[in-house]
Amino acid sequence: MKRLGFFLCFWVFMQFLGLTCPSWADSIKIPVAAPFTGPLASFGEGMKNGAMLKAEEINAQGGINGQQVEILFEDELCDPKEAATVATKLAADPAVSIVVGHLCSSASLAALPIYKEAKLPAISPASTNINLAKSSPYYFRNVYKDDFQGLFLAKYAKDIKGYKKVAIFYEMNDYSMGLMNAFLKQAKKNGIRILGKEAYTAETTDFKPQLTKFKMMKPNAIFIPGYAPQGTLIISQAKSLGMKNVDFLGADGLDDNLMLKNPDTEGLFVTTPFIPDKAGPNAAAFIKAYREKFGIDPNWFAANTYDAVGIAAAAIAKAGQDREKVREYLVSIDTKEKAYDGVAGKTYFDKNGDCLKEAFVKEIKNGKWVGAEKQLQ
Amino acid sequence: MESLLDQSSLFLQQLVNGITLGGVYALIAVGYTMVYGVIQLINFAHGEVYMLGAFLAYTLVAVVGMPFFPAFVLTLIICAVLGVVLDFVAYRPLRKAPRLAALITAIGMSIFLQNMALLIWGSQIKSYPREVLPAFFSEAAITMGDVTLSWLQIFILSITLLFMIILHLTIHKTRIGMAMRAISQDKTASALMGIGVNRVISFTFAIGSAMGGMAGILVGLYYNAIFPTMGYVAGIKAFAAAVLGGIGSVPGAMLGGGVLGIAEVMGAGYISSEYRDGISYAVMIAVILFKPSGLIGKQLGEKV
Amino acid sequence: MPLFHRNPRILFLAILFLAIILPWVPLGVSSNYLLRVLTTAVLYMILALGLNIVPGFTGLLDLGYVGFYGIGAYTSGLLAIHYDLSLWVILPLAAANGALWGVLLGAPTLRLTGDYFAIVTFGFSELVVLLIRNELWLTRGPMGLPGISAPSIFGYTLSQGWQYFYLALFLLLVVLVVVVRLENSRLGRAWFAIREDEIAAQCCGINLIRYKVMAFAASAAIGAMGGAFYAKWFRFIHPDMFKFWESILILCLIVFGGMGSISGTMLGALILIPLTEVLRTALPQSMFNARYLIYGLLLVIMMRLRPEGLIPFQLSRSRKAEQAKARLLGGEE
Repeated sequence: MKRLGFFLCFWVFMQFLGLTCPSWADSIKIPVAAPFTGPLASFGEGMKNGAMLKAEEINAQGGINGQQVEILFEDELCDPKEAATVATKLAADPAVSIVVGHLCSSASLAALPIYKEAKLPAISPASTNINLAKSSPYYFRNVYKDDFQGLFLAKYAKDIKGYKKVAIFYEMNDYSMGLMNAFLKQAKKNGIRILGKEAYTAETTDFKPQLTKFKMMKPNAIFIPGYAPQGTLIISQAKSLGMKNVDFLGADGLDDNLMLKNPDTEGLFVTTPFIPDKAGPNAAAFIKAYREKFGIDPNWFAANTYDAVGIAAAAIAKAGQDREKVREYLVSIDTKEKAYDGVAGKTYFDKNGDCLKEAFVKEIKNGKWVGAEKQLQ
Repeated sequence: MESLLDQSSLFLQQLVNGITLGGVYALIAVGYTMVYGVIQLINFAHGEVYMLGAFLAYTLVAVVGMPFFPAFVLTLIICAVLGVVLDFVAYRPLRKAPRLAALITAIGMSIFLQNMALLIWGSQIKSYPREVLPAFFSEAAITMGDVTLSWLQIFILSITLLFMIILHLTIHKTRIGMAMRAISQDKTASALMGIGVNRVISFTFAIGSAMGGMAGILVGLYYNAIFPTMGYVAGIKAFAAAVLGGIGSVPGAMLGGGVLGIAEVMGAGYISSEYRDGISYAVMIAVILFKPSGLIGKQLGEKV
Repeated sequence: MPLFHRNPRILFLAILFLAIILPWVPLGVSSNYLLRVLTTAVLYMILALGLNIVPGFTGLLDLGYVGFYGIGAYTSGLLAIHYDLSLWVILPLAAANGALWGVLLGAPTLRLTGDYFAIVTFGFSELVVLLIRNELWLTRGPMGLPGISAPSIFGYTLSQGWQYFYLALFLLLVVLVVVVRLENSRLGRAWFAIREDEIAAQCCGINLIRYKVMAFAASAAIGAMGGAFYAKWFRFIHPDMFKFWESILILCLIVFGGMGSISGTMLGALILIPLTEVLRTALPQSMFNARYLIYGLLLVIMMRLRPEGLIPFQLSRSRKAEQAKARLLGGEE
């Protein structure tokens, strides 16, 4: 049996070595790191579609400087440990000169020091936590930050919707809590009374005790700075408790077609970086192509990733496959004039690597996502 | 400052929520306690049977298109069979093995089933289609001021009560129930008395699993959410309930379930929603350390 | 390989030698990735050795091992962030903290029977994780603890993958020495007696509780030390990294390798941890979760077919005992 043990050991080792050899090919590799399986897989799918579409378009036009672009999909399940392992793998691969990712803020936070050490630039189309880009000169993003989003939401809640009493139901993770704090700050200034805050975790399915508490407080609206899987349950359970006169407000985490499957979510308002019908003229071709290829409208993950891949490709086209040069190129996109004009607005980076982007509001009307009539400028 | 009426409404509503949750825990707990009673094994995979019940019913209704009540019954049957198979494949061969081995096997089966479900159904939260139950089910049946009791809650409570009564009658009034009680007292003596020990154990697994599966369906309806990892947490809490009531005792499991459900909801509502799950763990640890026989159970001396 | 059979020490030294030169063997440009996975394997060897003590030496199942792992990691992380301490201060402090909690948890619970003990330890580890997740003022909860400084040894700060690998190897050696010494000491023999037959051990005058608590505390200390290393290596820790699954994984390693057997435990870790990475790439994306399925199945199959594991644990591996045995059996080997 000992021999079997050692043989097994050897076999695993050989397999392992085989894996670690990089595959040299003629294509330019751009990895996209996101959760492609797991509870947030539907978000990852938007990213995947956006990336694939952009890569195809680039390749159809001859690729980058004659070389075809290949997207590598790295699944990290939105888990910090997996994200770090994926990051190490990518950092060690010399064919990789830029990473598009990650999706969840906690995954990005875990990967960040690894990219920093490997001097590998990364651009996230979806991580909104405020601490990210400023912690590393190698981390960029083309999505707005949560402090902006929280501010925007609070303003919208007060100015457009006229909510005076709001309760907050947040998830215990970076994204949700960061967003909640930003909202709280602005809400205080705007004169919105926060009736209470309750927390849940990703595993919670029974929200009734907290919702019952909220019910007794009689808020105008409940703000849910969380993700769609829990959001849809919260709203359903609230309705089943008899909370019929309460509105629901959310942010980019709730922007998912999952919410549409549930008729209780009618009337939900969320902020999002991208709405097909309010997007600029650049987006028209993208939306059309996306619809043709995937049969649905693109969501903001798809749009932002499409742009992020575009930015990455532009960087490689100009600077070659050198990590430092790619980074310098990204840093050089620092004014509106030099901005990358994508489907989700113009992207340019400040000294931290953050960008300023617009936020839009959409609502669920008749079971579909539509742009809200009144937007905030 | 909320009025006294508001406060008492809040309390009553939480109580209603708690009792409903408690009923569900009781259904699962009963499965744990019965199996422990006959073979002294914590069937870690029981939580997964609960989860599979929810998913099987979902598949029958949403994918195959069966109407609800036939799907419900069919799922119960499949869960019962699943329990028997589980015993046959994983536990029976280790009947004579040290306890540690059986425990580890149980854990392994739990992980295996959980990930099997993940592979088959994916990790997205699924909901039963709206049309499954008559629409009025989510409506409030009784409303007293701000306190609502929906038809669905009444349905859950009455089914739980019904099956508890059936189970109690089975254990105390039928021959096979008597056999179960005999085996839990002394397996060897029971075998000497001519009881087909293995058959009765299989029967125990069948009933426990069917009830666990039923709990899964009810929970799926109540929260409108099922996902492959739901068995893990619910299983632990139900086990805590079984221990609280006195492991090996069926009325204990029912009582334990009720108490734990209420404690959890009250804790989440009044003390802290973050430590909600911790309440179950703390209760479990406290009971095991200070009163291992639980609320109702008998104190078993250690035979040397 | 008769040379190795007769003298396991030489085998051990050979493997050690291989491990030491490993980072310098040109394995292509991805050696950093390889090193990282191997460092992970070594870390899990340390953890597995720690867990091995409890079921291996006392016959009880500790399902809450990840609690100590987490305590060690957060102790180390918090110390690193709030104070500027050398690694040689942080590791012992974390280990001591682990041992403390081991005693606190063990004292009231080690008199329970196997099943209850397993459940209580499980409950404990879940409570620890809940605490870590919720006490934001202490641990920053779900926002994790980023920015833990790299370990500094005698003033020199580690930065390269191979440096961490050597550090891990060194810690593994330390733990090995501790565990082997324990195995061959009075304490160790008391533990084996407890494992084989509690009642007989009691009759021989072994104070059950005292020895069980010591075993538990030692296990906890090693787990905490592993966690401390983890925090300084990863430099970012998060409550999600300490789920119950980790306890199960480590349990898998020792069950597969051989519960109670030191070399078995290490072999188990060496095979199963890189296997995770192999499977990550080998399996199509939709079957990502099949990785864990295999571990579950592994537990069941091992218990059925080979409960002793790959390398079963033998009561005494000292040369003297082997020679005595050879003499008794009349020169047969």
